[in-house]
Amino acid sequence: MNILKGKIENINSNHQLSIIYINVNNNRLTAIIIDTPKTSKYFKRGKEVQVIFKETEVIIGKGISHQISMQNKIEGTIKSINCGDLLCKITLKTAVGDIVSIITSNAVKQLGLEKNTLVTAMIKTNEIMLSE
Amino acid sequence: MIKLNIQKTLTAASGKMNLHVKTTIEKYSLVTLYGKSGAGKTSCLRIIAGLLTPDSGSIEVDGKLWTHIDNNINLPPQKRNIGFVFQDYALFPNMTVAENLRFALNKNQDKKIIHELIEIFELGDLQFKKPETLSGGQKQRVALARSLVQKPSILMLDEPLSALDYEIRHKLQHYILQVHKEYKLTTILISHDISEILRMSDKVIELNQGKVVKQGTPDTVFNYKEFSGNIQLTGIVIAIQKQDFLYILTLQIGKDIVKVVANENEGENLFIGDTVILASQAFNPVIHKIG
Repeated sequence: MNILKGKIENINSNHQLSIIYINVNNNRLTAIIIDTPKTSKYFKRGKEVQVIFKETEVIIGKGISHQISMQNKIEGTIKSINCGDLLCKITLKTAVGDIVSIITSNAVKQLGLEKNTLVTAMIKTNEIMLSE
Repeated sequence: MIKLNIQKTLTAASGKMNLHVKTTIEKYSLVTLYGKSGAGKTSCLRIIAGLLTPDSGSIEVDGKLWTHIDNNINLPPQKRNIGFVFQDYALFPNMTVAENLRFALNKNQDKKIIHELIEIFELGDLQFKKPETLSGGQKQRVALARSLVQKPSILMLDEPLSALDYEIRHKLQHYILQVHKEYKLTTILISHDISEILRMSDKVIELNQGKVVKQGTPDTVFNYKEFSGNIQLTGIVIAIQKQDFLYILTLQIGKDIVKVVANENEGENLFIGDTVILASQAFNPVIHKIG
């Protein structure tokens, strides 16, 4: 699991769903949840939360400019790559802390990823969970 | 409220053990004693019930002393107003279900309670049957009903559900919670099943080697954590396989087996038999109708 610490900046609710905007070291991340401030007292502006997402849900884009629907984009450089036959584990150094991504070894080859490559880690809004 | 401060030297398989339990149990709460086999849980229950005399200490219930060793006070079990259910059902084999219940009546006690309990535990169809013709879950329902005939104020359950399969357990947990509330009981449960404890208890007292090592709400004792994912299950690790920097975990969740991928530092800290939370975002699973 990747776990980042942040603070809830804003909440946008409609019926059952809410999009939560979290400030993590001045980067804005978004999460969507089936809860609203009415159904859960735990989602409030200013509340400190852990932002949790799995390594296998972190997409890697080479460079920093991507026209893509992904709301959570975090720039960083590759700190280490550790490859097995099928999968590689990539650790990124970013402004919000280290982020680990697990992608296929093929993808690493195709993109020519190596240590110090400038990349963007991307996580879909619905892959992010929050916890206290 | 039960104020407990008891000490007794027990002889266990591994040698002598000093049981020392000091705690309080709020009136009308459901409290679970949790811990390894031989930690002193059953002895603790038996001491509260008056079936075992402590070497020293006292038990005070709602301001009344049940036990005070220094002052030679130790009420016999029948004066303690306690209902007791064990893992083995301890029903009389030669009596029908209804007879088993009636046998527990006090002299001159109103028989109305028997009908009430037959109703609550849905024993109507079973009341003229002998225990040998009943399933485990049915027998335990009878045992639970019988423990309540004398309208106890404290109900003690010594692993009552551990011999039953998952679905029946769920059903009985529901019955227990229902009578716990309806009869305003203070209930003390012994259980090993963390999901059962999380579902049922107000407080957990964890014993190890006869001592209280942790006590508090189930969330704090078990390091329970809430995720916003909306899917949150508790399961038991039944297999751990490592592949490169990943761990493939096989978990038993209820009667289902699931496989989950975990990363290195999560997998390294897990052992077979550990209880874990499995959490996922509500958006991820797909649904397929089968019935």
